[in-house]
Amino acid sequence: MIELLAITDDPVAPPPPLRLVPAGPVAVVVGPAPEGEVDAEALWDRESLLEDLMDERALLPIRYGTRVEDDAAAAAAVVPRGAELAAALERVRGAVEVSVRAIAPEGEEAGDVGAVHARLSGLAREHARHDGPEPLRAAYLVDRAGVDVFVAAVRELQQEHRGLSILCTGPWPPYSFAEPR
Amino acid sequence: MSKTSQAIAEREVALVDLVDRLLGGGVVIAGEITLAVADVDLVHVSLRALVSSVEKARPQEP
Amino acid sequence: MKDKVLAAPLNGDLDAFERKIPHLSNALSRRIDADPESVQQGLAQLVLTIVELLRQLMERQALRRIDGGGLTDEQVENLGRTFMELDRAMEELRDHFGLEPEDLNLDLGPLGRLL
Repeated sequence: MIELLAITDDPVAPPPPLRLVPAGPVAVVVGPAPEGEVDAEALWDRESLLEDLMDERALLPIRYGTRVEDDAAAAAAVVPRGAELAAALERVRGAVEVSVRAIAPEGEEAGDVGAVHARLSGLAREHARHDGPEPLRAAYLVDRAGVDVFVAAVRELQQEHRGLSILCTGPWPPYSFAEPR
Repeated sequence: MSKTSQAIAEREVALVDLVDRLLGGGVVIAGEITLAVADVDLVHVSLRALVSSVEKARPQEP
Repeated sequence: MKDKVLAAPLNGDLDAFERKIPHLSNALSRRIDADPESVQQGLAQLVLTIVELLRQLMERQALRRIDGGGLTDEQVENLGRTFMELDRAMEELRDHFGLEPEDLNLDLGPLGRLL
């Protein structure tokens, strides 16, 4: 079994043991399927691999745990969606995902959360709300060069909205923007 | 809070975001809906009891 | 791995953002296998599991009715025959998709097994 890690269109081979399997207009980064328990460490290992890849190339992360028998099966699974995946790569090229969660410990109004989301959306190429226990759990697709400005805006918003606690993490590979529309 | 325990706490909150993304995000390869029913959603069912949400993001129009 | 927290709340209190993830390995033991045949089998497994759950619930309900009395002998016999037929039908379906009886169950992690 091999594990599928990411879709890319960069022809440069990734560092071993990762390999590139061509699939129509795109290619799949594959690696040996990890054995053993899936724990937090395993997830961070995957994240670390993707971040290294992401530094060098545009990529779409593949849902964790996707495995196929061999290279031929990997190509067969991806080729039919080649065109739309290529288009999705264009959407994320040069950008990273930033996560923002905001909670209102004092039972503040959700209106503040709306204002935070609106301001941050204005600084992002795209945005996506996730379901979660917090009033705001969102992902923003931000130009690599714009991350500092984005984080500075988060800090300002935190100053302006004292009732909210805002947590901002990243940069992440574009997990929330990988699936073509 | 010491520097180390602060680092661990940051790691743990970041793990929530990571789990959200690795398991709820990314490209779903091969038969999206079927796969989601057949296997991925089963993962979600059990995870939802553990993490409060690993719902797939619903991208909005930019 | 770089630090992932880009901006923390003013009071530095991160606890509220945490959700404990105790049995991740357990929950993740089911993996995605992007192979059409196993996708079909996985779907069949899920559907049959739900059918099996309903069958068992009905069977238990029927047994309660029988134990409680108030059913004629003919009704009891009909119920018994119906459930035997259902059981046989399930067996055929399982065979068709290459599933064992123990496959028709869901591991709900800390919530235990479905059936």
